[in-house]
Amino acid sequence: MARRDLSEELVTLLPRLRRFARALSRNPHDADDLLQLAIERALTRAEQLRDDAPMANWMFGIVRHAWIDELRARARGARVFVPELEGQRVADARQSADLELLSVQDAMARLPEEQRVAVALVLIEGLSYKEAAHVMEVPIGTVTSRLARGREALQAMLGEG
Amino acid sequence: MTFTDETVMAYVDGELDEKARTAVSAALATDPELARRVARHRALREQLHSEFAAVLEERVPEHLVVAARGGAASPVPTNVIALQPRPAMRWSWPQWGAMAASLAVGVLVAPFLWRQGAREPLVVQRGQVVASGTLAFALSEQLASTQAADTRIGVGVSFLSRDGSYCRTFVLRDRSAVAGLACHEHDQWRLEALAAATPSSAAPGQYRPAASSLPPAVARTLDELIVGEPLDASAESAARARGWRR
Repeated sequence: MARRDLSEELVTLLPRLRRFARALSRNPHDADDLLQLAIERALTRAEQLRDDAPMANWMFGIVRHAWIDELRARARGARVFVPELEGQRVADARQSADLELLSVQDAMARLPEEQRVAVALVLIEGLSYKEAAHVMEVPIGTVTSRLARGREALQAMLGEG
Repeated sequence: MTFTDETVMAYVDGELDEKARTAVSAALATDPELARRVARHRALREQLHSEFAAVLEERVPEHLVVAARGGAASPVPTNVIALQPRPAMRWSWPQWGAMAASLAVGVLVAPFLWRQGAREPLVVQRGQVVASGTLAFALSEQLASTQAADTRIGVGVSFLSRDGSYCRTFVLRDRSAVAGLACHEHDQWRLEALAAATPSSAAPGQYRPAASSLPPAVARTLDELIVGEPLDASAESAARARGWRR
């Protein structure tokens, strides 16, 4: 059985994976650190990737897990690198949006983490709801409701509501 | 006919079955309110997409390519010896101690702990300490004149050294701060000095420390190496454009 060349597939995917990591983590260096961690994890679990599975979606799942682990670690250590720790409350963002419109990336950083993942997967990476549900390990209905709330919050912050 | 928000979003996301899609499409022609809702969701999709599209055009940092290839060795048959170079060593405390003896290193009073999971900022390669991971990337790409105020790695002074290489000072901030100086040689940033930064030289917002605010060990090394004046913003940018080669 021909073994997939995971490394070369991964290298080809790196730009997309960076975009996904950047959508999750506002700070570019943190995003690359996150991706590095995900790559290392992926390579130790290569046997979990089925031969016919799309690698991008598998990697999105690993990046997402690494991101959630990172957020928990930060919360435990009360780290203060970036102002995106818990996705600030959207209500605050709405109010401040009246005064000053946020950049798209700032607005993304303020979404609760799971809404941010749903928005990144479907609206930026172009996954279907079904694929996103698989990556997020939740039912499709959960994806659509997170997506709906994420969209509303973004539109409020970006002043397009 | 009214459509729920979920239906409108699913329409924009291409998730409706053909029957439902046709129904929305038909209603669009006669329902300006529906058309507005669809346009609003499309606009957000496009805005997000275009905002993040730029990431696809960026050069992927080398350390990520190496990571993707590096650990990926397919299982090596036992009768074949892998001729891969040994991976760079990771830092451990005894190594910090050994390095301190061979470098102009100030006393590392506070443990500098890189974030778990992140690539170490400094590695030993062929007997030299070189910048790695995000530090290498910052030294190669980050401009003191444009770097973000809250960046974890701050680049300070850039200058030409006596041996003709470009050197840069930097501050790494984590639980504690470390300042250092590295010179570009053979496409790597070789560490020349490293010391715990005093609170003043690591204070938020102060990422372009004057030589006087650098830890003494780093400032001394800078004095020894520098030829002429530090690079100004345009010279710094030009040096980066040439890949830090003369």
